[in-house]
Amino acid sequence: MLVLLVSFAVRPSHAATRTTAGLQALYDFNSTSGPIVTGLSRWGAALGLEISDPKAVKRSEGSLSVRGKTLIRTQKPAVTIIESIRRSGEITIEAWIQPAKIDQSGPARIITLSKNSSERNFTLGQDGDRFEVRFRTTKTSDNGIPSLSSGPKSLTTELTHVVYTRSRSGQARLYLNGEAAAEQTIKGDTSNWNRSHRLALANELSKDRPWQGTYHLVAIYNRDLTPDEIKRNFEAGAGAETTLAGDQPTAGEHLFETQVAPLLAKHCLECHDSSTRKGGLDLSRRDTALAGSKHGEVILPGNAAESPLWESVDANDMPDDRPPLSAREKKMLQQWIDEGATWSLETIDPAIYTHDRQAGTNWVRRLTVEEYIATVESTVGVDIDQEAREILPPDLRADGFSNTAYNLIVDLKHVEAYARLAEIIVSRMDVIDFAAEYSQSRKLTDESMRGLISKMGNWVLRGPVEDREVDSYRGISTTVASAGGNFKDAVGFILEAMLQSPRFLYRMENQRGDGGRWPVDEYELASRMSYIVWGAPPDRELLKAAEEGRLFDSAGVETQVERMLEDPRAIERSTQFLHDWLDLDRMDHLRPSPERFPNWDTNLAPDMREETIAFFKEVVWNQKRPLSELLNAQVTYATARLAAHYGLEPAGKGLSRYDLSSVPSRGGLLTQGSVLTVGGDDASTVTRGLFVFHDLLRGVVKDPPPGIDTTPVPTRPGLSQRAIATERIANRSCGACHSKFEPLSFGLARFDGLGAYHAVDEHGNDLRDDGEILFPGAAKPVSYGSSGELMDLLAGSERVSKTLTWKVTQFALGRPLVSADARIVDSIHEKARKEGGTYANLISAIVLSDLVQTTRTETH
Amino acid sequence: MKRTPLNRRTLLKGLGGVAIGLPLLEEMLISNAGAAAKTVPVRAFNVFFGLGIPAPLQTEGFEGVLEPLQPLADKLLIMRNVDQVRCDESGINAHFDGASGSFTAEPPDGEAKAGGPSIDQVIKKAHYPRGLPDGMVPTLIGGTFFRRSRVSRYVHSYNMYGTVAATIQEKPRDLFDRVFGTLTLPDSANGRTQRLRRSVLDSVVDQYRYYTGKNSPLGAASRARVADHLSRIRELEQRAYEMKERPADSPELPPRSKLLHGGPADPGGQGIDITLDDLSTEWRLMADLYALAIQTDRVRFGALTFLAAGERIRLTGDYVYQGKKIFTFDDAAQHNATGDKGCSHEWWHKFDEKRENTQLRAHAHMKMREVSYFLQALDGADSVEANGKTLLENSLITISTESGDGRHSDAKRELSGVFHAITGANGRFKTGQIMDVNAEGLDVYNTMLQAMGASHRLGPADRQMTPTDKIRA
Repeated sequence: MLVLLVSFAVRPSHAATRTTAGLQALYDFNSTSGPIVTGLSRWGAALGLEISDPKAVKRSEGSLSVRGKTLIRTQKPAVTIIESIRRSGEITIEAWIQPAKIDQSGPARIITLSKNSSERNFTLGQDGDRFEVRFRTTKTSDNGIPSLSSGPKSLTTELTHVVYTRSRSGQARLYLNGEAAAEQTIKGDTSNWNRSHRLALANELSKDRPWQGTYHLVAIYNRDLTPDEIKRNFEAGAGAETTLAGDQPTAGEHLFETQVAPLLAKHCLECHDSSTRKGGLDLSRRDTALAGSKHGEVILPGNAAESPLWESVDANDMPDDRPPLSAREKKMLQQWIDEGATWSLETIDPAIYTHDRQAGTNWVRRLTVEEYIATVESTVGVDIDQEAREILPPDLRADGFSNTAYNLIVDLKHVEAYARLAEIIVSRMDVIDFAAEYSQSRKLTDESMRGLISKMGNWVLRGPVEDREVDSYRGISTTVASAGGNFKDAVGFILEAMLQSPRFLYRMENQRGDGGRWPVDEYELASRMSYIVWGAPPDRELLKAAEEGRLFDSAGVETQVERMLEDPRAIERSTQFLHDWLDLDRMDHLRPSPERFPNWDTNLAPDMREETIAFFKEVVWNQKRPLSELLNAQVTYATARLAAHYGLEPAGKGLSRYDLSSVPSRGGLLTQGSVLTVGGDDASTVTRGLFVFHDLLRGVVKDPPPGIDTTPVPTRPGLSQRAIATERIANRSCGACHSKFEPLSFGLARFDGLGAYHAVDEHGNDLRDDGEILFPGAAKPVSYGSSGELMDLLAGSERVSKTLTWKVTQFALGRPLVSADARIVDSIHEKARKEGGTYANLISAIVLSDLVQTTRTETH
Repeated sequence: MKRTPLNRRTLLKGLGGVAIGLPLLEEMLISNAGAAAKTVPVRAFNVFFGLGIPAPLQTEGFEGVLEPLQPLADKLLIMRNVDQVRCDESGINAHFDGASGSFTAEPPDGEAKAGGPSIDQVIKKAHYPRGLPDGMVPTLIGGTFFRRSRVSRYVHSYNMYGTVAATIQEKPRDLFDRVFGTLTLPDSANGRTQRLRRSVLDSVVDQYRYYTGKNSPLGAASRARVADHLSRIRELEQRAYEMKERPADSPELPPRSKLLHGGPADPGGQGIDITLDDLSTEWRLMADLYALAIQTDRVRFGALTFLAAGERIRLTGDYVYQGKKIFTFDDAAQHNATGDKGCSHEWWHKFDEKRENTQLRAHAHMKMREVSYFLQALDGADSVEANGKTLLENSLITISTESGDGRHSDAKRELSGVFHAITGANGRFKTGQIMDVNAEGLDVYNTMLQAMGASHRLGPADRQMTPTDKIRA
């Protein structure tokens, strides 16, 4: 029976396909030459296996036979596999092999991730007529003992499908040819896996445990496959084709998404998107682009030379009235068409390429002033809010947010401030009490101080401290001791040093690797989570979860995020987002012209800011409504002063809640003074329209074309803002762009520059608030009859909803998003939407996404 | 105006203060540093002024708005027809594009990020790859400005990754403190405590060194950021523990700024009211302090800004040049408008080369007067170096602006003909000429870098440089 099964299995079965979820590395031995056995890797660059003695092996397509003593190993530590298993705590080791003989032992290494004969993360080996697997955890020896063995005579010299799985709970199983053959509980977790081990075949890294036989397939997963999945892989056979899981694009898709689509967006869509369609050509969508213009097809996949698109670009006929494409751009466009014109996006969205030049650069994130204050409070219990805001230079807004990492620079003033603040903080602490949480000893001896530094540092620095750090901090206590100082002095100065250290002031992470995305480690993840959700460091529970490996699986992360979202700090953090997004600091500096607005009360500006914050808390946290409903929620909070300014009947002295369900003119963010004032005293339709266009719709427009007088035209009797804007839109030179954004402000026309509502302007012109909205990417505009209808359209718009996802994600990551993020942001948006679309849903989806779970590495 | 140019030493008596005593300042002046140093250090500074000079007005030479530069004509190379069109970032405010391209010749890469390094930083990196000598400010950025919606409007020194090279000092007192300030630790008088606190700093330095060293887990840009932090810590160390104690009779601090700063200086883009007297007084104090920092060799690289790109001020006051009243500023009244529409930048929006452009001319002339004030501060007897030339002659000082036109209606026209002037940089560049260079800014800047001995080139890696050798001496 076994023979029959094997002969079935050697040939690929078309009925069964291999499972790919969780697959981290795969070797199918299809390469037949060269010293390197190539493979596929889920993360970063593939880990090639170097054959130390090529003469000892024979290679043919789909197999590699080891006939003599050799070692086939990765050229560097298998960090990505190790990190992945460290995080998941689970594994599946799968191999299609044919042992050359029974009398191999040691065990003889079939697959190993180890250093030598006594230090390993795992080994699958042959011990005579049985398989043996050693898997290291915190409860086994460094050698992975106790091991798991298949029974006597379970190993033959026939082609065999052997699979080892180990679940997070410790259940380890061996499967032979799809059937369970042995099982055992291996307690502990994988947090102690050594990151410096290499992956190897056919021998131990110390070259003293050789194995001979033939490899057909080796695969490693970061989860324990189910019995059904193992059976399916077995049935798929040794030669089954396999790709890695994930949503990574193919080479053609990659070229299109990172090179061609941005090129089309930059050079072509101004005239050839869904709304403009010059010559009947819409290059923003796959179907319309491939359908061509009114003259026929413009892209002939595989044939650039005869594609009209390429011909016109090559001849510099296109883009019309704009600079021609560079030689490099032309070459790339030609290559894309010649290679088949892969078009992997439904729609090209110019907005996602805006910041692409920043892609690929990692900026370490310094704590913002707010984060610093929260971190000090959480870590040592000192409120340093006032002093920090006075002494630290403010963080300036860049690309819409003040936490943009590249702009979090440091100058002497920062360094001086951190030193002063550290002194102040420590002076306010009960240092002895604080130290007692980590050590009862008050001795300045080496052992005592090192123990204290290690434990206290683990908390203050948000993760384990290394020996080099302990040595450095220990140096302080030595100096204190030699100067006749006491334990309290020593701890105080050590804390001062820790409070100025890079690990306190920055969010230090590993950024080095092979240039690909790598999973972050458990402490990096804990910090990412806490700063995203709270703008503060991990609390003890989160740090404990990291220590115990509970952040290695998504369920553990979700549990923590749910808990964290219940904390008031999550609300505080969300209002920081709001504050930055809408630039509410603007309200501190609002100074309308006194001639024009003689009755302006300066207290209204802070009232407007407080209104928006209270409204946000009500909608997002009290009512837990989808974020997009911020655009049309019929409620607000206002002081009596502000209510009067808005024309509402004042309901109380302080900030009071107003139900706006019977006030059709107001309801939603855009009807609040904090946003309406973006248009300046003149309530500029251009500025307001651009605000909606950029900040709610992620729209992109170009500069005005040549020869246009952009001097604003003043209103007068018979000429309202609307009439002026309508003229601009009708103008041949201006209309193409202004029609995209200016009508967005028409619904706000009845609000003056300071947000007061009027049916007529200062000249007595009637103010209309109907209009049209053209959503970016859409072919036709949608009409609205009033301000309220505009708000409903915006609130119901997928584009607005997705823009909010982009904005929150940008704030969470502290960097502008680039096109390489677009696929992940789409999945974040989709996941959050399915869960209900609330801020909490969105934050959970962001934390669980690859944007947070992984980091972009740079090569050494 | 409340102040007129003062003798350098007289000025110091009125300025020195918080940190450094007059005798020490006297000692530090390069003119007193002795002739021991025969070689002159490499220095590079960027001087920016907002809104620019429309290209047609540049053709009038010193007869027109460039008149205030005439006293320095022999020491400047005025360059016309410098093309910065590649700095245009489609869909982004033209003031911002042009300003970001000043001294970088590349389009912006974010609201607070230039498309590449500025020339001063490239030169710094080439000549001081391991940092400046101890005690120097690595980069000094200062300015008198109000509009601040985007950082590149007023910051004009960018490091190799295009991020701002230092925090801008916008108040004279802050700039003074940044250059000359020592750190007064609360218990620094106590020798024991001072020793212990030094051990804290040693440990902190250890930590930062690790993250900049070969075993650092950080990527290149992050390492550069941490290296910046480390260099500032070293500066702090020096100031806190190594600089001479100040004498008891230290002069007073510079006066507090009377102008608006921070958010209030840019109220929602609506502009502010300001008198010429207040503006010039503060700027000249800033310019004097910056010049003093160079004279005392505390600063060799950086940037100084006189009014931001697209600056929004409603200026009032009589403008007098060399005893002659040139114009009476009253922007809002002359525009008959309030808010941003009443600001001086509207004169640039309304520029029409067929008309007289009286108001614009007066503003541009005034800007040249103030730029000239700073340059002259580096050209006096106190500024003579060991080679007998002044700091102005020995340094590379690049003066540039945001546009060659003011109307946001044609990016090509707006970013062509951007006014530039440079100093001779110790004989490296021609001076005493007004030259039509007719070249792209990128080529001009790269030629300057080449002449300054920097191998790094601005712009796309695959771009072929066309040297503008005619500017070289």
